[in-house]
Amino acid sequence: MDGTLTRHAQRTIAYGFLFFILISMATPFVWLISNTFKEQSEIFQLQPTLIPEEPHLRNYVSLFVDFDFARHFLNSAFIALVHTASHLFLASLAGFAFAKYSFPLKNFLFLVLLGSMMVPLYTIFIPLFVLVIRLGLVNSYAGVILPGVAAAFGIFFMKQSMEAVPSELLDSARIDGASEFRIYWQIALPLVRPALAVLAVLAFMGSWNDFVWPLVVLRSQELQTLPVVMAGMVNLYRMEYGMVMAASLLSTLPILLLFLALQRQFIQGLVVGAIKS
Amino acid sequence: MSSASIVEDRGLRAWWSRSERKVVPYVFISPFYILFIVFSVGPLIYALYLSLHRWPGTGPMRHVGLGNYTYLASDPVFLKSLWNTVYYAIGAFLFILPLALVLALLINSTLIRIKSLFRIGYFLPILTSTVAATIMFLMIFNNQFGLINQGFALLGIPALKWLDEELVKISVLAVATWRYTGINVLYFLTGLQSIPPELYEAAQVDGAGTWAQFRYITIPQLRPIALFVGVVTMIGSFQLFAEPMLLANGGPNDASLTLANYLYRMGFSNAKLGYGSAIGWVMALIIFGLSFIQLYLFGAFRKED
Repeated sequence: MDGTLTRHAQRTIAYGFLFFILISMATPFVWLISNTFKEQSEIFQLQPTLIPEEPHLRNYVSLFVDFDFARHFLNSAFIALVHTASHLFLASLAGFAFAKYSFPLKNFLFLVLLGSMMVPLYTIFIPLFVLVIRLGLVNSYAGVILPGVAAAFGIFFMKQSMEAVPSELLDSARIDGASEFRIYWQIALPLVRPALAVLAVLAFMGSWNDFVWPLVVLRSQELQTLPVVMAGMVNLYRMEYGMVMAASLLSTLPILLLFLALQRQFIQGLVVGAIKS
Repeated sequence: MSSASIVEDRGLRAWWSRSERKVVPYVFISPFYILFIVFSVGPLIYALYLSLHRWPGTGPMRHVGLGNYTYLASDPVFLKSLWNTVYYAIGAFLFILPLALVLALLINSTLIRIKSLFRIGYFLPILTSTVAATIMFLMIFNNQFGLINQGFALLGIPALKWLDEELVKISVLAVATWRYTGINVLYFLTGLQSIPPELYEAAQVDGAGTWAQFRYITIPQLRPIALFVGVVTMIGSFQLFAEPMLLANGGPNDASLTLANYLYRMGFSNAKLGYGSAIGWVMALIIFGLSFIQLYLFGAFRKED
């Protein structure tokens, strides 16, 4: 390989391939953005236009007026925020216990925790739905949030960073008479703030983008989350392409902004499973 | 009465101050185990129970033994959805993962200087929801005005029907490639960056060429990350749901239907909760089995690891 191509040629080929893939991946998204400002007839044109000929915001306006987009956006935001806050609390509390206490059955319990990540979602899907009905949680946000709130990955992740909290700090607080919960809340938690940010980003994104569980739990349209409503728009309003694309774009925006603000945490969070394996 | 409660209170307090550190960790971890038992273990067992019954969701259940499972073996739609799911998994292994590995190797090589542009650019699609991404592709694959056929028209190539029976699986794979290549690039990059550079330096001293270095250092050193990526990809492929559902509603003629789609159709649309649960258990057994085989093949059970 070294002998056949000069380094310059190799570099050109490498950059060419990387840019080709990058452009292929970016094109659909650019096309989507451009179409949200187009009239249906312009979308249907045989010759695609990159810059809309007569750009307008009617697709966005009808999204808010005809579809109550704001309501569904807030539903998604509420569910994602409650999910994220409760998940962070439960995961960091359990992670703290696994990292900083020794207690009988600890190793066994931790193994059970790791094993719980193996349970495939769809296997428990039907009985979980029956359970949610029996508990009277169908068509409620609690029914959407509760089953997924104590995911094992978060505990596993928080345990790793809680281990770095110096035990002497906790012991000196104990001598001062602080309760164990206070030690967790006031000493350990502030020290693992970076890890909490990573986990928050992952939890928020997971909940915000979740589709199939809210689809079955929430019955009334006005409670429904964005992905489910968007999926419904495809079936009912196959013709309103500009509007559906505008909805796709707006629904992606919060995650995109979160990513731009917390890029490092995002990437770290998503590769952490790979590193820890 | 009041003095008794004071004594009791004192006893309780003394007991608490003696044993707080022994009790507290169990209290801290209990929410997870309670929720895990209620929302995972319980349903898992209940799914097994349901799978041995015929039940439309209300009224009495009828015990059918392994009837649901034997019926699955001869159900042409189930077998089709199983084949489709295997097709997607094979497609991911033959297409998404090699592409991601090549991109990661290029980004990691000394040829490329602007690494973060590509790393982040490839990664962005995973931020979209499957629903938003699939809606976007639904329009890209549209027969008349979809971006691909518009492009074909410019080049004078006749339009293809991307969502018809023949091509729909390829289209589902294209959506998956768009969304999941970048995250796998990140995984492989993490693996590549964790290889100690001394290994390559030593190999160069010994006169090993680029290919020899790749074959004898990079590939063996990537083994743990490849195992992780392989298991995650396999589990993800076997749980594919939203893409085929939104792109073609599992069709046409069930050509894109996955196991998860069929489970949903049986359990929720057709109210065959027992049959749907049997599909769920078959999925679980396949996922466990394939995970075990991958761990075995990659030597995760060998002693030296």
